[in-house]
Amino acid sequence: MVVGTASRGCQVAVIGAGPGGYLAAIRLAQLGKDVLLIEDAKTLGGICLNEGCIPSKALIHATDLLEEASHANEMGLTFTGLNLDIKKLVGWKDRIVKQLTGGVAFLVTKNGGDILHGRAKFVTDRRLEVLTEEGPVLVEFEQAVIATGSRQVELPEFPFDGRWVIGSREALSPTSVPERLVIIGGGYIGLELGSVYRRLGSHVDLVEIADELVPFHDPEVRNIITQRMRHLGVTLHMGHRALRMERDKIARVIIAGKNGKESTLEADRILVSVGRTPLSGDMGLDAAGVRTDDRGFIRVNHRMETNVPGIYALGDVVGGPLLAHKAYREAKVAAEVIAGNPSAFDNVVIPAVVYTDPELAWAGMTETEAKAAGHRIVTGTFPFRASGRAMTLSAVDGFAKTIADADSHLILGVVIVGRDAGEMISEAALAIEMGAFLDDLAGTIHPHPTLSEGLLESVEAALGAAVHVLNAK
Amino acid sequence: MAVEFRLPDVGEGIHEAVLVKWRVKPGDTVKADEPFCDVETDKAVVELPSPVAGTVSKLNFAPGDVVHVGDAMIVFDADDDTVSKPARPASVSPESSPAPATRMTSQPSSAPASVPHSPPVQAAPDASAEPPARRPLATPHTRALARKLGVDLAAVAASGKGGRITDEDVRKTASRLLQDTAEALSAAAEPVPVIESMPLVTHEAGERLPETAERQSTDFGPVERIRISRLRQLIARNMRASKATLAHVTHVDEADVTDLDAMYRKVKQQVADMQNVKFTIMPFFVKSAVAALKKYPVLNASFDEDNQEMIIKHYYHVGFAADTPEGLVVPVIRDADRKDMIRIAQEIADKAERARERKITLDELQGAGFTITNVGPLGGLFATPVIPLPQLAILGMHAMKDRPVVRNGQIVIRKMMNLSISFDHRMIDGMTAAAFLHEVISLIESPEMLMLRLV
Ligand SMILES: Cc1cc2nc3c(=O)[nH]c(=O)nc-3n(C[C@H](O)[C@H](O)[C@H](O)COP(=O)(O)OP(=O)(O)OC[C@H]3O[C@@H](n4cnc5c(N)ncnc54)[C@H](O)[C@@H]3O)c2cc1C
Repeated sequence: MVVGTASRGCQVAVIGAGPGGYLAAIRLAQLGKDVLLIEDAKTLGGICLNEGCIPSKALIHATDLLEEASHANEMGLTFTGLNLDIKKLVGWKDRIVKQLTGGVAFLVTKNGGDILHGRAKFVTDRRLEVLTEEGPVLVEFEQAVIATGSRQVELPEFPFDGRWVIGSREALSPTSVPERLVIIGGGYIGLELGSVYRRLGSHVDLVEIADELVPFHDPEVRNIITQRMRHLGVTLHMGHRALRMERDKIARVIIAGKNGKESTLEADRILVSVGRTPLSGDMGLDAAGVRTDDRGFIRVNHRMETNVPGIYALGDVVGGPLLAHKAYREAKVAAEVIAGNPSAFDNVVIPAVVYTDPELAWAGMTETEAKAAGHRIVTGTFPFRASGRAMTLSAVDGFAKTIADADSHLILGVVIVGRDAGEMISEAALAIEMGAFLDDLAGTIHPHPTLSEGLLESVEAALGAAVHVLNAK
Repeated sequence: MAVEFRLPDVGEGIHEAVLVKWRVKPGDTVKADEPFCDVETDKAVVELPSPVAGTVSKLNFAPGDVVHVGDAMIVFDADDDTVSKPARPASVSPESSPAPATRMTSQPSSAPASVPHSPPVQAAPDASAEPPARRPLATPHTRALARKLGVDLAAVAASGKGGRITDEDVRKTASRLLQDTAEALSAAAEPVPVIESMPLVTHEAGERLPETAERQSTDFGPVERIRISRLRQLIARNMRASKATLAHVTHVDEADVTDLDAMYRKVKQQVADMQNVKFTIMPFFVKSAVAALKKYPVLNASFDEDNQEMIIKHYYHVGFAADTPEGLVVPVIRDADRKDMIRIAQEIADKAERARERKITLDELQGAGFTITNVGPLGGLFATPVIPLPQLAILGMHAMKDRPVVRNGQIVIRKMMNLSISFDHRMIDGMTAAAFLHEVISLIESPEMLMLRLV
């Protein structure tokens, strides 16, 4: 041991205070464990609270409002002097983040957990070295939970410089609105941030190597998302690869299509959103003996156990869909397993939401997946165009679609495109998790007038008994 | 990949087992299904087969330890392909080139999460089962139950609508697994009763509730059937066995505990402060009883009916009855004659606590020659406790109360306590029992005398 190094012990050391880590720490403390939550950043909450889910949703809501207000004349509402103060908007977002991250710290400590700020590194499979501002601290633990999350992937031809080439973090704290924004990568982060900047007034070019947006969805979903992005005014460059950039007073992004033909996009800012990579290097995993796969994701089983007894991992760093609610669930499983309860991540679905306008949300299988899994399927679709509630909200774009097994009527998947789809998808997730059949959902009263009736109607359509649309013969 | 093996719950009220021996040591390689240890339940000695192929990395228990259902007994480092991988969706790919960025898959997998630590014996899946691609249909609640009971949902016959697996289906499978285990092993291993030298009543008529019990109860209104715990089953058996074997008689007398109470109050706080132990009045009774047992050894004895011999114990192991949420257990203070009262108080507190948490070992529940039960907290005048086999007597402490009594022709208020001695009249005469109790009372009534008798 280094002379002068402080040291301390704990039952469970949790590394990383993102959704996965902070929830694991709270739950472990509730279960009576002596927990130390170690976080490198100044605030808790991880990517999600500081520079991910929450900030992006704040900006999305504000720009949605802007959009709605500017299109409300149909209802007889005209707003004059509708102004955007970007500083104020970012300030509002920052206050939300501050309140939430402070709340997390409060919950951790009030439940009896301890917090240590610093960068953690394994020195053995029972010991961590944490580099704090006051110097290194040795932490001995009985069990450890690795929840170090992920970071954005950098492209060698487009290195982040915080000015011309930025990632999602910088994009969520703009000081100005760029006139021309080029987004490289059309995943959900690219789509969400593209919508935000378009509405803030930027000209947005979106470069995506795949031929389709949300390529893994069924065609009607791909179509509506693509149409809506175009309608919004985002210029899509599908099937194009960003090759390199040139810069003088402005930047230029050189892109090439499948045939190799190059073209140039002018940019005041370039947002690279091509995916995220696990934060598993540089933390002494070898010293602890923890194994990762070839992409750096830590390998775990259903109980979130790594190959080293007593060391657990969860959240973005173990892969799977990189979503906060997946991390939350895994955190509960890990905490319960550590406390000796027979818990396991046995979920049938991990629902997901893309906060485009309209939102895209789904739970369970797509049509293609259901067929690939050997099901004969029935589907039912309800367009929000036929929903009274959607009309009163002036939000008639989109639909709800239910996919079920044709023989048993077991619900296999639901996809909703529409206003507040993210709020509605939990009902579908519950139905699938509970093993519901079409008539279980059809037999449940949905309040009127709500958008959730759309889900009900899609189920009835699958049963050939829709009311507000004509049934397929 | 590290794989822990947890003692599976095979139903039938078995919540724990005693580790008989390890068949492996750390570093050994094991094949899947190779037996790695022997455990003893109250049904049988069972070999537990390894869930994986790999090497043994850690043993968490020693032979003789009690292992509870769910306890991680052993850790294997499994050869990778033998461990069922978590149902992981294709992940959001951090593409290395400008690529379709974040892509989300919708479905972790259509396969249900099969719990890697399956029970040692698995029921063969029903031949008429659905195609394997279909996940077993069970709600999260039922899935959690299956995990708790160590049941693989794929092996459960579903009774619910559309092939839904109900809680009841899971429970049924769990008890079938147990039967299979017990039957498979009954040929090889002799059933061993859990409690040493506990003569079990043979299966005589009346072991089971007469059938009319059910009909009569359901005739008069809704009823509920609750499976009893293994502890409760043991209690039931032991109580029956005691009542069926011994000739119970109870003798009651009263003791004036005014002085004892005063002395106890004086030292209680000091002891608590000094020794950090909850000092109760119980150690005084343990010590008084030991002194009286020395004088009347027939109360610290057992009866060997086969050989028509009395077994007089030359040690003073005193049991004390402790309530737990699951039922009554009787931890034992060994060699109570050689321990001071503080030590005894410590042992009582510690063992009672661990009994409540079900962390007490079988060893600590065995070997008593005599038992004390404090039924005072229940109030009442006195009770007639059941004598734990193979002992022959039990001392009952009853509620301590202020009562008017006559002293020197005057009515005065004294702290009084009823004490009872229940004894096996086959071996112990009423006079001996009464004399024993009298001896206890005389020591209790005058703590100075007790002091003089302490060794
Ligand atoms: C722009 C954007 C929008 C998003 N929107 C959504 C959304 O709408 N819904 C959704 O579900 N998900 C969303 N996500 C994804 C979500 O943010 C992540 O899935 C989630 O944060 C993962 O949680 P985590 O706990 O695994 O890791 P993180 O949140 O990444 O937290 C890891 C923490 O560990 C700390 N750390 C790392 N290494 C160390 C170390 N060695 N020592 C100490 N501390 C360390 C980091 O500082 C960080 O605070 C979004 C992400 C982005 C980037």
